[in-house]
Amino acid sequence: MRGLFRWSGKWWPGVVPLLVLWGLAAWTSTAPLESDLASRSSAALKDAVLDKTNVMVDGRDVTVRADAFSQSGRSSAVGAVAAVPGVRLVDDETRLVPDAKPFAWSVERDVVRVTLGGNAPLPAVKGKLAEAARSSLKGVDVADQMALARGAPPHFEDAALLLIGQIGQLKDGKFTLSDGDVTLSGMARELGGREAIAAALKKLPDGFKVAANEVKAPPYILQAYKDPVAVTVTLSGNVPDDNIHAVVAGASSRKFFDEKVVDNLKTSIGAPAGFVNAVVPALGALSRLSTGTLVVSDREIKLSGDALYDAAAAQIRLTLPKDVPQGWQVKADISVKPQAAPVDPTVCQQLFSDLLAKGTIRFETDRADIDRDSAGLLDRLVEIALRCPSAPIEVAGHTDAAGEEPANQTLSEKRAQAVIDYFARAGLPADRFTAIGYGSTQPLASNDTSDGRAQNRRIEFLVR
Amino acid sequence: MTFLITFHWGWLLGALALGFAMGWVAVVHRAPGVPRWWMGLLSVLALALVIVALADLVPGRAGYWLELLLLMFVPYLAGCAVGSWLRAWVVFRSMRAKSLG
Repeated sequence: MRGLFRWSGKWWPGVVPLLVLWGLAAWTSTAPLESDLASRSSAALKDAVLDKTNVMVDGRDVTVRADAFSQSGRSSAVGAVAAVPGVRLVDDETRLVPDAKPFAWSVERDVVRVTLGGNAPLPAVKGKLAEAARSSLKGVDVADQMALARGAPPHFEDAALLLIGQIGQLKDGKFTLSDGDVTLSGMARELGGREAIAAALKKLPDGFKVAANEVKAPPYILQAYKDPVAVTVTLSGNVPDDNIHAVVAGASSRKFFDEKVVDNLKTSIGAPAGFVNAVVPALGALSRLSTGTLVVSDREIKLSGDALYDAAAAQIRLTLPKDVPQGWQVKADISVKPQAAPVDPTVCQQLFSDLLAKGTIRFETDRADIDRDSAGLLDRLVEIALRCPSAPIEVAGHTDAAGEEPANQTLSEKRAQAVIDYFARAGLPADRFTAIGYGSTQPLASNDTSDGRAQNRRIEFLVR
Repeated sequence: MTFLITFHWGWLLGALALGFAMGWVAVVHRAPGVPRWWMGLLSVLALALVIVALADLVPGRAGYWLELLLLMFVPYLAGCAVGSWLRAWVVFRSMRAKSLG
């Protein structure tokens, strides 16, 4: 042992080559060591929930720079790097992402792209939302401008995904989440889009509510065009459902007794309130025109065309606004068709008979009130009566055989008188007309069938 | 430590070989030894460096190089000790053979 100590005094010359060896070792191993530590530190942070992660190695010391989403996330990230074999010191330069108050997020759609903005709580959620936007709007450019922040309300992801799912319903517009408040604005792509969005938003997670829904829909349009040359009425546009479709189609076929109804209506939700109560009177007004166009757009009714005589034009202008539900606007641009040339009483009689062969004046059951569906027919009859201004006309009422004969007699008289009253309101002198009631004494068909009874209930015109 | 040894085993082996060679030579080397007070001073210096390294006082690359230096000194000294001891044994045996012969 003493010898070893003595010899050790002579070991120093080897220190010089040792130092050279050390210099070489340091020269060659530093870079590989640092890159090895960097790659293993990064691997250790792979599963950590961090953003903007940056690992820098200086010798065996590792600096971790990252945005973390919780205090425990920070410490576990630093711990994971510290546990990497070979790492000496960890310089913790992580920071918590800022706390957003209020936590705002938005999805905006314009013509060319969808932009996701505001804050997302985690990188994974951010990626998921961007992916959801891409998959729900295939072919549309998705711009992800979301920043990361803490403070998202519970179920934020579900609410945001729901809104992304609905952005396709918009042509352009924006959905915004601010804490639990949902704000919607923009224009729906199609009719019913607004309603579909409102229905979908009923499934918003707890804690979220719609603060403002200002999504507008394209105008809800129904159009009708009465063509006197083709003798057609063309219905196009939208009706809210099959029941209302049937109501509109039924009213049209009754009101346009002479014309062929071409029904091009489509079913679509999104109709304004009181739709059917506005459309049916508007179709009634159109039926009184010789030629005309009806456009029902949202709550605005535009009627234009030619009335058959002056009083009809005035009546339509006056009564249609009263007949539609409150909140609806009527713009009636009615002119009057030039009066047809006068004709002989015999021609008049022929015209009356021809017209009444096509349609029947309808009354309320067991009453003498003229059904509103017959206004178009009555106007045509008035027009004929105007063409033979001097001929006295007998208006004859007939009923079917149901009920007591005296009552039928009275009813037939009253109905004939009701028609004369209508003619008087049209400006014709009442003394040209005589009301006669025949009750059920002159049936045209058997009273045993409902068809026969319907034929027997009639008004006839006799030009003297 | 395990990481450092496995990562630098080649260099450490080199230091061991160098130490062995130096130890082998030292037994028969006629050069003057390091004075005792120098030895003491160097030991204190070495101890100080070890303390500095263990306390992680030197940052970054310099700290790593210091650790590497100290780490390479260990096999060097071990090599010196083994080399000197072996050489002394060989020399002693041959001297005894000579004296017997």
